[in-house]
Amino acid sequence: MRGDRLLYAGIDIGSTTSKCVLLRDGEIVGSTLVDTGIGTGGPEQAFSGALAAAGVRSDEITRCVATGYGRTSWKGADETISELAAHARGSHFLLPSTRTVIDIGGQDAKVIALGPGGRMVNFAMNDKCAAGTGRFLEVMATILRVPIQSLEELAAQAQRPAPISSTCTVFAESEVISQLAAGTPISDVVAGICMSVASRVAALAKRVGIEQEVCMSGGVAQNGGVRRALERALEIPIFYAPQAQMAGALGAALYACHK
Amino acid sequence: MSVQELLSRFHTAAANPGAQLKQYLAAGEKVVLTAPVYTPEELIHAMGLVPMGAWGADLPLEESKKYFPAFICSIMQSVLELGMRGAYEGVSALVVPSLCDSLKCLGQNWKYAVPSIPFVPMTYPQNRWGQVGEDFTRAGYERVIADLERITGQTLDTKRLVDSIRVYNRHNAAMRRVDEVLANHPEITAAQRSDIFKSAFFVKKEEHTTWVEELISVLEGTAPDMGGHKVMTSGILCDSPALLEIFDSLGLQIVADDVAAESRQYRTDCAEMSDPLAALCDKFTRMDCCSVLYDPDKKRPASIVAQAKARNAKGVVVVLTKFCDPEEFDYPFLKRACDAAGLPVALVEVDRQMNNFAQARTALETFREILS
Repeated sequence: MRGDRLLYAGIDIGSTTSKCVLLRDGEIVGSTLVDTGIGTGGPEQAFSGALAAAGVRSDEITRCVATGYGRTSWKGADETISELAAHARGSHFLLPSTRTVIDIGGQDAKVIALGPGGRMVNFAMNDKCAAGTGRFLEVMATILRVPIQSLEELAAQAQRPAPISSTCTVFAESEVISQLAAGTPISDVVAGICMSVASRVAALAKRVGIEQEVCMSGGVAQNGGVRRALERALEIPIFYAPQAQMAGALGAALYACHK
Repeated sequence: MSVQELLSRFHTAAANPGAQLKQYLAAGEKVVLTAPVYTPEELIHAMGLVPMGAWGADLPLEESKKYFPAFICSIMQSVLELGMRGAYEGVSALVVPSLCDSLKCLGQNWKYAVPSIPFVPMTYPQNRWGQVGEDFTRAGYERVIADLERITGQTLDTKRLVDSIRVYNRHNAAMRRVDEVLANHPEITAAQRSDIFKSAFFVKKEEHTTWVEELISVLEGTAPDMGGHKVMTSGILCDSPALLEIFDSLGLQIVADDVAAESRQYRTDCAEMSDPLAALCDKFTRMDCCSVLYDPDKKRPASIVAQAKARNAKGVVVVLTKFCDPEEFDYPFLKRACDAAGLPVALVEVDRQMNNFAQARTALETFREILS
């Protein structure tokens, strides 16, 4: 790790959240997650929140690297990198044995293959479509009138998961409403929704080729229902670091540090 | 003329097909539109007609949705959209080859959606080899000739067809050569490279050949700049200014292509035979390595790898037109061949009504990071 007491920042501006990580001597000294993303004050809030958490000023930062879909529109960065490169680097830092990263974000899903040493060697992204993403889960949680954070617990209670076969969020919404109208328990519907996301992402992962260890990053990684459904779909364990949602910002900060 | 002046001429022609069409019509020329992917332009040229490529345009699709479902090739939809909006008014006919299912739908829908411009079908055989294939192709060409004679009043003369074949062969050679020369000139942007290929659909071949030969001559006397990351492109179409800007801003230099609207058009020359129509049929039997040309041996992936290696490309960018099933069917074979050859592949999906290229930028930026 280069840098003698130097401070590096990574900011990940996504479609639904903004995350910022500050690094010093290879240690995270401050981090923030704000629940608003591109086109809002979220990036500024995340940045100032991380500064406050670390007790530092912005002029102390040696280099700041932005990533995420809002990376090019944020003026505070010295450089930008793609969110795939950032998640690859951040995930490898958190779980060094990782060879495949599955990143399910707010508006898309990505699978990244890493070579030895964490070098990115292949990737695949889903089409610009809400199905198989965090947005899909948000839409479904709204229909079911349950908090998105409760999806994991509800999925765990399922007795007979209700399959959601539609590949389109709009059609899946109709399917969920039909299941509810038919009296299917919410827990079974939620488990079906998690399986639907897992099925689409597993197909994407198979396009890249699965190399173990496999880890999840991005906001949806926090949803144990989707993680377990993905483990069943791929028939392998999926690892997950508690800081998985910060992996992009962390990767950007690592890039700033190693640049 | 300087390189930039020559490139500016290609850009003006590529960006203003409507103005070019008006010029032809004002000069009393009869124009025949040629739909993708391969149309017997030599026949049209030999009849004294001006062939102009109709590959659609980047625009919102509204009128054409009356005839097409949402999940179909946007190139075809935009050709119909332009027809329905009156952009092609004044042309004599539209020739549509039967090379994919979407093209067949275009022809059928065109008859009802744009009744002012006659539709001429060019029906190709799927099995194009041997006497049966040649006979079938010949029957298709004869139908085109008969329809165009009836519609335009022009006739086909064998001597003129021989001359037209020579004009097209010379143009093919110029396009192949400029593609080679451009690979050594990274200072020519992806957008400028696209202009050279795109303008070929709108400018008379004799004139376009002169332009291209002039550019080759000037470039051959110019020292090239330092290059970026060398890549090869593959797909049906790669002419979106927003997408090409991403290539340029990321320093991705297109050193070769397997794009239907670009180099695939110019790979095969027509042999000089006593029967020029037979020569055109023979040309079609020899065309290959294209998603819309049936090939049970699937030689296309190996040819892409060979081409990429020959030009020292470090990776292949597949620019996939959404809902193009011939290209989608070929993709797994292409990916497998490139993986085996150690060539990274990036897949970027595009369509004619795309106005947000953020995901394409992310994919290409990530791809550049892999190549670095």
